[in-house]
Amino acid sequence: MALSVDELKAAIIEKATKAPKPQLYIKDFYACDADSKPRVIKNVANDLVKEGKLMFWSSGSTTMYALPSRIKNEETRPQD
Amino acid sequence: MPKHDTPLMDELEKGPWPSFVTDLKRQAETKPECWDILGQMELSFKDRITHWKHGGIVGVFGYGGGIVGRYSDSPKQFPGVAHFHTVRLNQPSSKFYSSAKLRDICNLWEKYGSGMTNMHGSTGDLVLLGTRTENLEPLFYDLTHDLKQDLGGSGSNLRTPACCIGSARCEWSCYDTASICHHLTMHYQDEIHRPAFPYKFKFKFSGCPNDCVASIARSDFALIGTWKDDIRIDQDAVQGYIKGDYKPNGGARAKSKPFDIDEDVLALCPTACMRMKDNKLQIDNKNCTRCMFCLNMMPRALRPGVIKGASILCGAKAPILDGAQLATLIIPFVEVTADNEYENIIEVIESIWDWWMEAGKNRERLGETMQRLGLPTFLKVMDVTPIPQHIKIPRENPYVFWTDEEVPGGFERDIREFRKKHAQ
Ligand code: SF4
Ligand code: SF4
Repeated sequence: MALSVDELKAAIIEKATKAPKPQLYIKDFYACDADSKPRVIKNVANDLVKEGKLMFWSSGSTTMYALPSRIKNEETRPQD
Repeated sequence: MPKHDTPLMDELEKGPWPSFVTDLKRQAETKPECWDILGQMELSFKDRITHWKHGGIVGVFGYGGGIVGRYSDSPKQFPGVAHFHTVRLNQPSSKFYSSAKLRDICNLWEKYGSGMTNMHGSTGDLVLLGTRTENLEPLFYDLTHDLKQDLGGSGSNLRTPACCIGSARCEWSCYDTASICHHLTMHYQDEIHRPAFPYKFKFKFSGCPNDCVASIARSDFALIGTWKDDIRIDQDAVQGYIKGDYKPNGGARAKSKPFDIDEDVLALCPTACMRMKDNKLQIDNKNCTRCMFCLNMMPRALRPGVIKGASILCGAKAPILDGAQLATLIIPFVEVTADNEYENIIEVIESIWDWWMEAGKNRERLGETMQRLGLPTFLKVMDVTPIPQHIKIPRENPYVFWTDEEVPGGFERDIREFRKKHAQ
């Protein structure tokens, strides 16, 4: 049976916290619940961004997700 | 006063063409950061490497697309371009603007950005080049509240749908491109503004096979107008072209010698399905591939048929992985009508998405997934019965595969029994 929205949110945050890579593709979250459709997982991940629990990182052509504490931010990295 | 010496960039001002370097210098009189663009480009030319860093977390609240982060990797040397983000605006369908709207957009960009634009980016968006992170939210507020305009797509989103001018001005349009483009833009607002897929996904709509938005080369989902019945022929107008009363190709044909219908049209039809008989033009429409060549050459004489619709092609892409790829014909003919709110087209789009979201790998365009898993798999997913047009060189391809269900009795067999009978 598919996870509830709250369970899915918790699973996504856990994955974003524990994954060795700090920034993840949406497909990396599909494994959080094999019974949930990709579209449901995408909507839940995007809701987590709205809630400020995840952030988007975009190269312009692809978008990735990360916890705010793990994301690569050009503006806070030491410059040359 | 130039802020940097730019001898290499200055070379690009020479010659008879308009120069973006001259434009940047003029813009630098009121927007000094433009000097730093020139300085950084000069350095890139010298170093033969880009000094832009792509990507970042920039965006506006609630959106996951429309802004592309750009930073200089030498911000101390070029502080004016330390941040130089790109903003994509969703262009109106068929790119109809009033001059007042264009002035408003330019004024907005003078206020919040470098004033430089790219009309239009290859996706179709109106592109505003160069602003700082702190300007993004105020810019977005004015854009949406005062100009009633929205951002376009970027990242792993549905990209801003784009269409040719279509029935609005073009006699060849086989469906109303602007109408479906606008409808789907509104229908898929969530997918345009927030990431939804393993990678980018593009729709493009061309009203006829001339394909003025190059959908066959640039979109994951191309809807190209076509017709089912016969090309309409006005035999008097054909004679008009032969006599020289009308200029072939709307006057664009080179005039080195007089128009000759045999040489200039019939011999160039790719399927050789045209001929003159008793001084009348005949077309074997069954063998016509709707390439538009003869219609372009003799627009007064030839018109698309009256049963109009579109073909659906999937999987074009630029050459990042495995080279560039043109789209593959999937569904030869669909009706395109606003009467059903494009339900039949939406159904096709969503079955593609459902499959690709599962089967596609990270950063894999639809065309790459189709290539990796094969056209037969894709056709099956789309519930499309294969036709000869799906097969490369259908008359020579010896590989015909049958599935269990297609063979009476299926493939079940006792291999031992089989070997007993066929043992050498
Ligand atoms: S693609 Fe065809 S219908 Fe569209 S503008 Fe070009 S010629 Fe006209
Ligand atoms: S549209 Fe193309 S294929 Fe068809 S008759 Fe004209 S030239 Fe030939």
